[in-house]
Amino acid sequence: MNRLNHSVKVVLLALAGACVAIGSAPVFAQDATFVINARENGFPTYNPLKGTKLNVANNLIFDRLVIQDADHSFHGQLATSWESAPDGMSWTFKLRKGVKFHDGEPFNAKVIEWWLPKFKGTENAYMTESIDKIVIVDDYTVKLLMKNPDPALLFNLATSFMGVPSPKSYEALGDKFGVTAAVGSGPFKLESFTVGQQTKLVRNEDYRWASDLSKNQGPAKIKHLTLREISEDSTAFLELKTGGVDALLSVPTDFLPKLQAEKSVKVVLLPGTEVFYMPINTSVEPFTDIKVREAVALAVNQKEIMTSLFGGTGAVANNFLVSSLQESKINPKFNISYNPERSKKLLDEAGWLMGSGGVRAKGGVPLTVKLWTQNGTQFKRITEVIQAQLKAVGVNAEITVQDAASINAMYKKKTDHQLAVRSYDYVNADILDWFFSGTRLGYPNVSMWNDPKGEALDAKAMKGSKTWDERVANFKAYHEYIMSQFLFAPIYQPTQSFAYNTTRLKMPDSIRGIKLATQSIMDIEVK
Amino acid sequence: MLNFVIKRLLMLVPVFLAVSMLIFLIIHMVPGDPIDNMVQIGSSPEQRAELIAKYGLDKPLLVQYGVWFRNMLDGDLGNAIILRRPVADLIAENLPHSLVLGCLAFAFSAIVGVASGALAAIYKDSWIDRSVMTLILLGSTLPSFWLGLLLILVFAVQLEWFPVSGARSWSALVLPVLTIGLHGVALVSRVTRAAMLDVGRKDFVLMLHAKGLSHRRIQLQHVLRHALLPVVTILSLRIGWIVGGAVTIEFVFARPGLGSLLITSLNQRDYPVVQGCLLMLAIAVMLGTLLGDLLQASLDPRVRDSLK
Repeated sequence: MNRLNHSVKVVLLALAGACVAIGSAPVFAQDATFVINARENGFPTYNPLKGTKLNVANNLIFDRLVIQDADHSFHGQLATSWESAPDGMSWTFKLRKGVKFHDGEPFNAKVIEWWLPKFKGTENAYMTESIDKIVIVDDYTVKLLMKNPDPALLFNLATSFMGVPSPKSYEALGDKFGVTAAVGSGPFKLESFTVGQQTKLVRNEDYRWASDLSKNQGPAKIKHLTLREISEDSTAFLELKTGGVDALLSVPTDFLPKLQAEKSVKVVLLPGTEVFYMPINTSVEPFTDIKVREAVALAVNQKEIMTSLFGGTGAVANNFLVSSLQESKINPKFNISYNPERSKKLLDEAGWLMGSGGVRAKGGVPLTVKLWTQNGTQFKRITEVIQAQLKAVGVNAEITVQDAASINAMYKKKTDHQLAVRSYDYVNADILDWFFSGTRLGYPNVSMWNDPKGEALDAKAMKGSKTWDERVANFKAYHEYIMSQFLFAPIYQPTQSFAYNTTRLKMPDSIRGIKLATQSIMDIEVK
Repeated sequence: MLNFVIKRLLMLVPVFLAVSMLIFLIIHMVPGDPIDNMVQIGSSPEQRAELIAKYGLDKPLLVQYGVWFRNMLDGDLGNAIILRRPVADLIAENLPHSLVLGCLAFAFSAIVGVASGALAAIYKDSWIDRSVMTLILLGSTLPSFWLGLLLILVFAVQLEWFPVSGARSWSALVLPVLTIGLHGVALVSRVTRAAMLDVGRKDFVLMLHAKGLSHRRIQLQHVLRHALLPVVTILSLRIGWIVGGAVTIEFVFARPGLGSLLITSLNQRDYPVVQGCLLMLAIAVMLGTLLGDLLQASLDPRVRDSLK
């Protein structure tokens, strides 16, 4: 009996020990807790070379050679200046002096020589495949010799995947790099990381080399930064409302009005980086006919969607690219805007005549099409509105909601879909190649478009441009051609938003960068 | 009794084989694959093909199953494709959280369920009985997701008694345990009440009344003991829930656990992790059922006699 009692006690103690989770550290003045964008939940690693999904903390741990401002201009972080040869076949970067990794190792030209070839054979290899050789000019100058001109090099170098890790720690940790530890030169060090739950960062006290986009050159004003992952929007909202967290790095649209009404919460809106659109499968009837495609595209009332579903925030989309990009500034005649009268006229011309019941028909076949969408409140709502808008011009759209993880595999079947509601989040004109190249039919080329002229324009834009201006011009030409073929209907550009507790945090006067990231987090103060 | 235990354990082997094959096949037949979650904007179809070959996803399904099964017998659940770490490590990190939550919720539903069901039976047709029946109705019909949010609104937001979410302290367990537990209470309470009323109509209870024992004593000392048999059956079936029943609750309360891990890996089609998690859940249900059968055999002489 005594032995049994003892065993029971041991079991209970073990359970009690498990019950006591790591107690939350007392909140000191320099500690802050943010909730990251739910889309970044579950990202598995902080290895920028191999990781294909990296969340906001990655850019706090690792510095990059260059970073972007909100106007897409490039600013130096680990590089102080750069220049490209007139023929685009080489780039010279001057590196910042006095930078140290979290493990004390110095940053210099040798690090770049080690780092760039490491991409070969990884999932991110394509980001550096245009680089042929790295030449060390001196300790703080490197020259990149190119296989071909690549004006997108700076954009690639500014992405999260181009965070520079410490060579010593990277080699020592092997496969564990980014999983149990991650060593960069950024303003924060990785303290702990639980996938799907939270990342704890601690200030890098040696940091003095922030970019010119931050007023504070270092160290960061926040000492302990916890980044939590909360998938349920209501829970995240309630955590901010009760002061359980200090900021939401992304506010779900439904909660914008509620948070804006909270006295101690401020909501900040930033230009969006996402576009909602409706691809049209050009390889199946009735959409092999360009008139029908144009008619369907013109039936979408972008303004009504923005107003009724999103309270007027954000912007309508009239072409494929985010409106802050230069390549989105195409000839206005190619932009697609709601025009139901022209839509009806085109359908009449294509032989789809209005029948009884408000659905058009041709040769006795009703104009009934499949309209796919993925599960998710925003997608379903937009799709339902579009269904009604298509009905108004005589197109009967049958909605099918697919699981978000399955839908790409369904597109790869290539003939099952006709229309779909999708979105992407990307701030570079390369996205045109990703979604419309004939080498990617099914997914991601959901429009199933394979056109020789389009391929030629794509190749010229992607590989035939020597300078950035040339690239912009070539992508504009490609973009205009895509628009002229009515491969999709543009819908909406959501605004970005974040919210913070004003009694806890003091934000910088202006938010630098495309999102709330390192540039501005350096300047956030805890009250 | 020992023979019974050995027989039941041996029966688990073919069940385990069938379940493991079913788990493997189902997840591979669902559209989508982990490579879709890995390819980057700008990568080529050739790079996708390389990744497929790298993770052995181009091999026939039976071959992939054979490799996975053989490794599993050696105690190796493989490496997560997206999460890039051993599946066993991921399960070991998350399982304790699910166990703690599940065990507490199980204990709560068992104790409160039996107690409330017994009270309802003893005070049948009184306000106590009606209150318990109302609780049963609410507990059975309220969606757990909604109940969880309601409890957060009341106890975390309005009263500020408990944290909204997370797993940073013991107090963060209270609301999730209540959310899961209330569902269990409704079920256990209903079964206990019905079983006690059923046993209460038996002849031996009439005899006990005739002997002059008090109603309460008869109910608690005699009727409840007999009524516990179906309750034990119900509870043993819910043992599987200890590990896997908290999926939506972990989501609502942003808690770590096997459920959260399963949802994340399912969305990413991280096959090894999904297979490992589902296998753990299946083992939990199988063991729970076995435990229930053993408990029934130990409590009910009729079951023991039937084994001879």
